[in-house]
Amino acid sequence: MKSIDGLQFAEMISMGAYHLKQNADYVDSLNVFPVPDGDTGTNMNLSMTSGAKETAANVSAHLGKTSQALSKGLLMGARGNSGVILSQLFRGFGKSVEEKEVLTASEFAEGLRYGVETAYKAVMKPVEGTILTVAKDAAAVAVETAAAETDLVQLMEAILTEAKASLKRTPDLLPVLKEVGVVDSGGQGLVYVYEGFLACLKGEELPERTVVQSMDELVSAEHHRNVQGFMDTADIEFGYCTEFMVRFEDDKTKNHPFDENDFRLQLNEMGDSLLVISDEEIAKVHIHTENPGNALSCGQQYGSLINIKIENMRQQHMDIVGDQSAGKNTPAKKVPYAIVTVAMGEGIADLLKSIGASFVIEGGQTMNPSTEDIVKAIQEVGAERVLILPNNKNIVLAAEQAAEVIGIEAAVVPTKSVPEGLAAILAFNPEADVTANAKSMKAAASVVKTGQVTTAVRDTSIDGVAIHTDDYMAISNGKITIATPSLDTTMKSLIDDMITEDDEIVTVIYGEDVSKQDAEQMVAYIEGQFEHVEIELYNGKQPLYPYILSVE
Amino acid sequence: MSIQMENDYGKIDITNETIARIVGEATIECYGVVGMASRHQIRDGLTEILRKENFGKGVVVRNAGADTQIDLYIIVGYGTKITEVAYQVQSKVQYTLKKTLGMTIGSVNIYVQGVRVTNL
Repeated sequence: MKSIDGLQFAEMISMGAYHLKQNADYVDSLNVFPVPDGDTGTNMNLSMTSGAKETAANVSAHLGKTSQALSKGLLMGARGNSGVILSQLFRGFGKSVEEKEVLTASEFAEGLRYGVETAYKAVMKPVEGTILTVAKDAAAVAVETAAAETDLVQLMEAILTEAKASLKRTPDLLPVLKEVGVVDSGGQGLVYVYEGFLACLKGEELPERTVVQSMDELVSAEHHRNVQGFMDTADIEFGYCTEFMVRFEDDKTKNHPFDENDFRLQLNEMGDSLLVISDEEIAKVHIHTENPGNALSCGQQYGSLINIKIENMRQQHMDIVGDQSAGKNTPAKKVPYAIVTVAMGEGIADLLKSIGASFVIEGGQTMNPSTEDIVKAIQEVGAERVLILPNNKNIVLAAEQAAEVIGIEAAVVPTKSVPEGLAAILAFNPEADVTANAKSMKAAASVVKTGQVTTAVRDTSIDGVAIHTDDYMAISNGKITIATPSLDTTMKSLIDDMITEDDEIVTVIYGEDVSKQDAEQMVAYIEGQFEHVEIELYNGKQPLYPYILSVE
Repeated sequence: MSIQMENDYGKIDITNETIARIVGEATIECYGVVGMASRHQIRDGLTEILRKENFGKGVVVRNAGADTQIDLYIIVGYGTKITEVAYQVQSKVQYTLKKTLGMTIGSVNIYVQGVRVTNL
């Protein structure tokens, strides 16, 4: 075949799209890059199908016009990274062959090369070992081959051979592929498209679904995909990774003819991550199931079992995460509700406990507890449901992670200071569920104004306030308002700033560096300035913050 | 503002600049993104494509913590499907932060500051 016209090209597109569609699931299973979400095949299929539809609707004997329709369809339907790249490849191709009524081998090769060039222009930092690399290598061979070869079938053979070879090399270029033991999913998708092209040029039928050669590759992709799903050992639903082969025996298959689809359906009931591959003599099975025995019996209907391997994935996972607690007995008695919070200073801890906190983790500024600390605290309390109050914005994240992994009903009330924490705990309702409590406690925390006085550790200027080392800084709702060398002046200024006509309750918590006498003088000052407010004074014994002020 | 974590051995502080850098690197690996742009185009020069050391100008990290929001200012290649490129950037950024910092973020907002036309 020396040339193709628009109609033939449209046929090629249709066949390429069809072949890709048939194998989209397999492409999905390979998807680990750039994000292992297993949708590359689906996305490429949708993109290519959109391209093929537009081509079919606007088919013309003029090849340039047909390929314009293809690039338009691809652009409109582009989905996912590989879809966008596919659309760029054929946009360049279309641009290069725009004026051509028919295409010769060398023009076809030039089109592919131009497509690759176009595709590379749309990315700042191309990652090699992807569909881009496969397209590039294939196009380079196309140009080389077309210099001597005028037959399009021969050319397409050469292109496909190189595309497959390049695909095989992708794990060497992209470490994440090697790690998981798969080839690039987008590259594989492109190979399917090219396979469709070649089959069309040869006038051959394509197999319904190409047999996947490497079971190992599939298994490792399945495992990887499965691992993405859970972080906690308890989340493993099907605990045993089971692999075996069935060697068919005539006397058994006589009564029970083997049907791969039926067999797959039977196994599908028993677990997930199922893979079944078979030929005339053997079926190979991989499944994650809770009852490996059932899966084995199911296989035994058809013959004898060989190469059996069963692994306990919970044990494996526990070994990996070092999770000893999963085996331990949980406390026999459980309290229905717990409030776990974070604070510094004995006095504050007592205060929090006196109003309802179940556990106070020591921590705060410069000493943030980790997710693990929070998890341990919750486990120590042994509650059925838990509310976590971090009392510091830097701990919110750790608290949320703890809530995620703890495995019981949990919510975080994102309190940013001790006064907010106090207000939140007071709004707690033991009758309400976790979500409702979190909501009302968050609302309660939001109406409290927090003031804090602490010392500066270095010279700086923040929020327009010049600060010198050892100055006392006043922080009102997270914003520095004043810094002076005198604790008294700073605190009084903070009081003046924060308290307004509408406020009713003022709570002063003094730290370990302040005497009771000084604190009482401060209360007297507030009484003198603001007659309408009710004042409470606590000895928080907290370090670093001489005063914490709560106004509501 | 920074992200703080603590483990048995000590404390880890990750500055916003570092997060911006990680986000920036992940972004430019995305297909269709030809560059990061400054969020103050007028002040910093029109549609200037940022260099690596300036990624911070095109990445804004707000509200360290669970409701962290990230604003990204990018320039995309002409002829790509912009919505799809933006979506890819969002998912790549989410994934990368989860993987490298164990951090889940609230949202990734993409501002397409320009389209670069390659001479075709």
